[in-house]
Amino acid sequence: MKLRAVAAAAAVALAGCAHSSMVLLPDEDGGHGKVAILESGGKPTDAIVTEANSRATLGAANPSIRPIDALKPAEAALVSDLPPPAKSFTLYFPEGTTDITPESAPVLEELRAEIAKRPGAEVQVTGHTDTVGSDADNDALSQKRAEQILNLLASKGFDRSIMSAVGRGERELKQPTADNVSNPANRRVEVIVR
Amino acid sequence: MIRKLVLVAASIALAASAASAEIARVKSSTGIAMVQRGAASLPATTGRELQAGDYLVTGKNGRISLTFIDNTRFAVGPNSRIAVSKFEYDRTRQQGSFITQVDRGSLAVVSGKIAKSGRDAMQVRTPNSLLGVRGTRFIVEVPK
Repeated sequence: MKLRAVAAAAAVALAGCAHSSMVLLPDEDGGHGKVAILESGGKPTDAIVTEANSRATLGAANPSIRPIDALKPAEAALVSDLPPPAKSFTLYFPEGTTDITPESAPVLEELRAEIAKRPGAEVQVTGHTDTVGSDADNDALSQKRAEQILNLLASKGFDRSIMSAVGRGERELKQPTADNVSNPANRRVEVIVR
Repeated sequence: MIRKLVLVAASIALAASAASAEIARVKSSTGIAMVQRGAASLPATTGRELQAGDYLVTGKNGRISLTFIDNTRFAVGPNSRIAVSKFEYDRTRQQGSFITQVDRGSLAVVSGKIAKSGRDAMQVRTPNSLLGVRGTRFIVEVPK
């Protein structure tokens, strides 16, 4: 209780100088989400910022939310400094093998180029199988597929410390099928480059 | 029996990856830009791995940009002090919980999979407010 009073006093003191604020922006794909103001000035609120390009001034029990015409230069600089979105690539495999299909060979080159152009890249390699064979065999096969791609990337000069490989077996089918169905779309490795 | 062994091996592998605890990587930085981990102050160089509990600290001309393992992206502006107080993420289920504390400065955010995984699973705290992020891009500013 005492702490709460101190926090409230601190909030009032802060509100006395420049105000904290939150600006909701449109998403990169044109839509936008929401930001709920769960607490302001030490008190719970049910305010939700729902419109893109609005600024909420924080700290008062009833936060004000107003539309803005443009970002301040410092805000625009901050937004332009955001890293690019993660990018996903998929490589496919013939049944039961850990060698990529000939059609997937160019994807490997795209992948190499994408990692090379991202300073501080982190690469997540996830292997999958179709439903042919036992769960245990498919767990092992999916792990081998992921490691095969990781090894190929390592052989192209990428540091292993930026990459991780995991096998998901037949748990995450791209095309849902019954058990023991051969399906080329499900025999894949997904690589996420961040 | 074999299945059981595989499961045990898989859970050990999972535990091992959790212990390494990489939650994000620095993509770029300029000026005075540090990662504070306990008593240690590490330069926020490109490729630097972050752990939960780390502070991002910048000086007058400092900037840091980074991407988290759930695809959340941050840009930290000058004169900032920002803590990643909590970051828990299950890569397999793509669910988690993420709390960032902006003590001062400015932060641009594009939220990732954690924000999508549950209502207010991603929260941002400022000295006088608490925000619940519902899948979006936004800026938080806390003037000195």
